[in-house]
Amino acid sequence: MEIKADEKDGSLVLLKQGAEARVFEATFVGRRSIVKERFSKKYRHPSLDSKLTLKRLNAEARCMTKARRLGVPTPVLYSVDPVLHTLTFEYVEGPSVKEIFLDFGLHGVVEERLNDVAMQIGDAIGKLHDGGLIHGDLTTSNMLIRNGTNQLVLIDFGLSFTSTLPEDKAVDLFVLERALISMHSSCGNVMDRILAAYRKSSKQWSSTLNKLAQVRQRGRKRTMVG
Amino acid sequence: MKVFEINGTTLSLVLFTDVTNSKELLDAMQAGTLEPEVAFLNASLIPDVFPILAAAHKTLIAKSRESLTTRTLHSELVYNYSGSKHITESLKRCGISDSSTYVLAARFNASLDEMKAIEKLINGKEIDMEELHARANEAQIQKHYKISGPEMGISSLADAITCRIASRDAL
Repeated sequence: MEIKADEKDGSLVLLKQGAEARVFEATFVGRRSIVKERFSKKYRHPSLDSKLTLKRLNAEARCMTKARRLGVPTPVLYSVDPVLHTLTFEYVEGPSVKEIFLDFGLHGVVEERLNDVAMQIGDAIGKLHDGGLIHGDLTTSNMLIRNGTNQLVLIDFGLSFTSTLPEDKAVDLFVLERALISMHSSCGNVMDRILAAYRKSSKQWSSTLNKLAQVRQRGRKRTMVG
Repeated sequence: MKVFEINGTTLSLVLFTDVTNSKELLDAMQAGTLEPEVAFLNASLIPDVFPILAAAHKTLIAKSRESLTTRTLHSELVYNYSGSKHITESLKRCGISDSSTYVLAARFNASLDEMKAIEKLINGKEIDMEELHARANEAQIQKHYKISGPEMGISSLADAITCRIASRDAL
């Protein structure tokens, strides 16, 4: 009888702390994993706080798995704990798109790789949007490139929601466009390549891109004047 | 047989093919006279051990919080593996039936003697756990877990099952 032990189950190493959650590295039944813990906000009323935290935890789990069903790679979800407010999912080995693009800025652009990454981003967003899923926080740090396969993996569905409105899709793309302009202007016009791929991937590209033109005029927030 | 450790509890797994007494096993289980208590799973729905371990992890957490949904620890494992909320249907599809011949037996914190007893209970041929992958019924898995074409393009069967086990209660 052989015993397959996973030595360090339960030992957590803090990787990042944000406003909504803490992210740890851990081991889940023998596999390297990420634990995302939504902590309670002491300034909120306790009963409201636990309701909101749980609602968002479940929404994130749902959106992550929905994206996979639409054919967009996201980390494999291992476990959801409604008592500890944690999600446990696969540790994806590889750099973020942000790191890759910043490296292009420092050491020169590798056209072929840039095209491949931009194509995958446009394709993935097109699939999400056609399935009625809005990511809500599309930035290059929320996109990873898996080592070995060079597959794009989308992470952080904490702000995701379902919607079929062109408005929501356009804002999703607009947020990415702003992020690209501010972080990666040295890579040239990546957004055009992303949108070209989006057009091929999304059947409803036309109404979304028309809306995007309007959103660009006025910014992310709708003006509520009048 | 293989033994896995999950947060300090062990899970022993044995895989059998050509099982001839599944009706007896099922009757004994339903009568509650199965000794020792053990979970029997329909192994054709199991392409890899990892989803089983994820379901076992979930089961042990529910047990530690005294919040099992089903009557016993081992039926909870079968229920959790199904990724569905329908208990009867889960036990029917992911457990064994009268005619099952390909079965995975699982027991938490089993002693050596208990595992020997379990191996005696089952009239079948013990095979290596490595066989799971090749013997899995892909079409049946896709149907039961509702795995779409696009998802198959980016995910292994085992990963798709794991996601459903984990996210069931969030839906």
